[in-house]
Amino acid sequence: MSISCQKRFVFFLLLWLVTSRYAVAAVSVPAPTAKEKCPVCGMFVAKYPDWVSAIGFKDSTYVYFDGPKDLYSYYINLAKYDPTKTPASVSFIQVKDYYSLKAIDGRKAFYVLGSDVYGPMGKELVPFEKMKDAQEFMNDHKGKKLLRFNDISQSTLKLLE
Amino acid sequence: MSSFINRHRNIIDFALSSLLRRKIKNISLLGVYTLIIFVLASLIFFVHALRREAALILKNAPDMVVQRLMAGRHELIPVDYGQKISSIRGVQDVVPRLWGYYFDPAIGSNYTVMVPRDNMVQPDNIIIGTGVARVRKASVRDLIAFQAYDKTPLLLMIQQILPYESELVAADLILMSEQDFQSMFNLPKGYATDLAVSVANPRELVTVATKIAEQFPDTRPILKSEILRTYDSVFDWRGGMMIVIMSAAILSFIIFAWDKATGLSAEERKEIGILKSIGWETSDVLFLKFWEGIVISLSAFLCGVLLAYGHVFFFSATIFEHALKGWSILYPQFRLVPAIDAFQLTVLFALSVLPYTVATIVPAWLAASADPDAAMRS
Repeated sequence: MSISCQKRFVFFLLLWLVTSRYAVAAVSVPAPTAKEKCPVCGMFVAKYPDWVSAIGFKDSTYVYFDGPKDLYSYYINLAKYDPTKTPASVSFIQVKDYYSLKAIDGRKAFYVLGSDVYGPMGKELVPFEKMKDAQEFMNDHKGKKLLRFNDISQSTLKLLE
Repeated sequence: MSSFINRHRNIIDFALSSLLRRKIKNISLLGVYTLIIFVLASLIFFVHALRREAALILKNAPDMVVQRLMAGRHELIPVDYGQKISSIRGVQDVVPRLWGYYFDPAIGSNYTVMVPRDNMVQPDNIIIGTGVARVRKASVRDLIAFQAYDKTPLLLMIQQILPYESELVAADLILMSEQDFQSMFNLPKGYATDLAVSVANPRELVTVATKIAEQFPDTRPILKSEILRTYDSVFDWRGGMMIVIMSAAILSFIIFAWDKATGLSAEERKEIGILKSIGWETSDVLFLKFWEGIVISLSAFLCGVLLAYGHVFFFSATIFEHALKGWSILYPQFRLVPAIDAFQLTVLFALSVLPYTVATIVPAWLAASADPDAAMRS
């Protein structure tokens, strides 16, 4: 193996390490199949690609939801839906950014409450990647409150009923 | 079970021979009936296929087109509007589009000239629609001479002829590079014909359109859904126009069929009386009339629909082509892709076969329930 070849090999190895690390860090679950159902409301998830959200567990299993509202009802009441799991066994939360429809990290997202945009299950927590997007959305769609991951509680879910 | 089938077979046998006995009357009835079904089914097939074609074409159309208006007319739009529009939240992409019309004096027809999105045409080359190729009698690698805005000749080589499937919209289309477009039309720098805006979340389309209209009061955003609606109403209107013209024919048919089907002649009444007196039951007589009605109406329906299918999909709806197709000089010559709306056909079936059959049974039932002796004497 010549020197340049070795160099190239090391470069690609590094590149692979960097990208694979990135892939682990970024949230991504495969698109849900047509049979996948939301464990909270029982609706088929694949019909609402714009709202599909997911919780990934450390044992590399996923659960899909048809919107952030149901995702958080599940997450907050994990003991009720899946007693074998605890909040500590959750590895990531994925929601869809309202404007770009790209999958984003649910723990870092900004959520708008009380807007005139409805999801498949009615009132929704509309997720955004950027704060500025969320603020503009609040202006455009009469949003009432801007929430972060830690602000979402059982009482928030009550407001969405 | 087999006796039931045998009974009906005999009744159908009798029904057919009794239809044949009144040959002229029944054949003329069948002919008129078939003609009406043929025209109606042709119209249904044609409008449905055109709509489907339009929907297919518009599937790839941009979510929104932004045009600039000046004095109420479509004007060139500055490309930097596009940069500002792309900063509106929810907008995924803004692409300036260049297109226009070119009048070809040699042929006396208009072509639609467009610059395609992804540099699919090399400079000095063009891609043309089948209509253009037909009138210019040109094929791939031929040179076509155009006149630029200042009457200087512009020679462009045909790189490709668009596939046949796109004939309906692309018959008069010429695709060329941006560079050739500039030398042909001399558009001012930094301007485009309109802007194609794509929005990731379809729920935001209306909000984005409202913001564009607010920020740029001299523009007009046109949504794809609006274009689709316009197409729909155009086809509805054209279809509606045909329906109005045809309704006179349909009405006269209804009167004709009603008269033929309901009015039992004295001879038929006598026949029913004889059948009853030789031991036929009322139900047998009703079945006889039912089968007679079915034979006429079902054959007319099937013949009419088959003829209409051939007319629309094999002969390009020659009869009402001019009333229903486009407006340009380069008429697209295309064969529609067969598309059948099962629902509309069922409605046509329910509105033609069923009432006719009922109309034949009811008077027969009245005659059959009368005393056979009285029926034969009258």
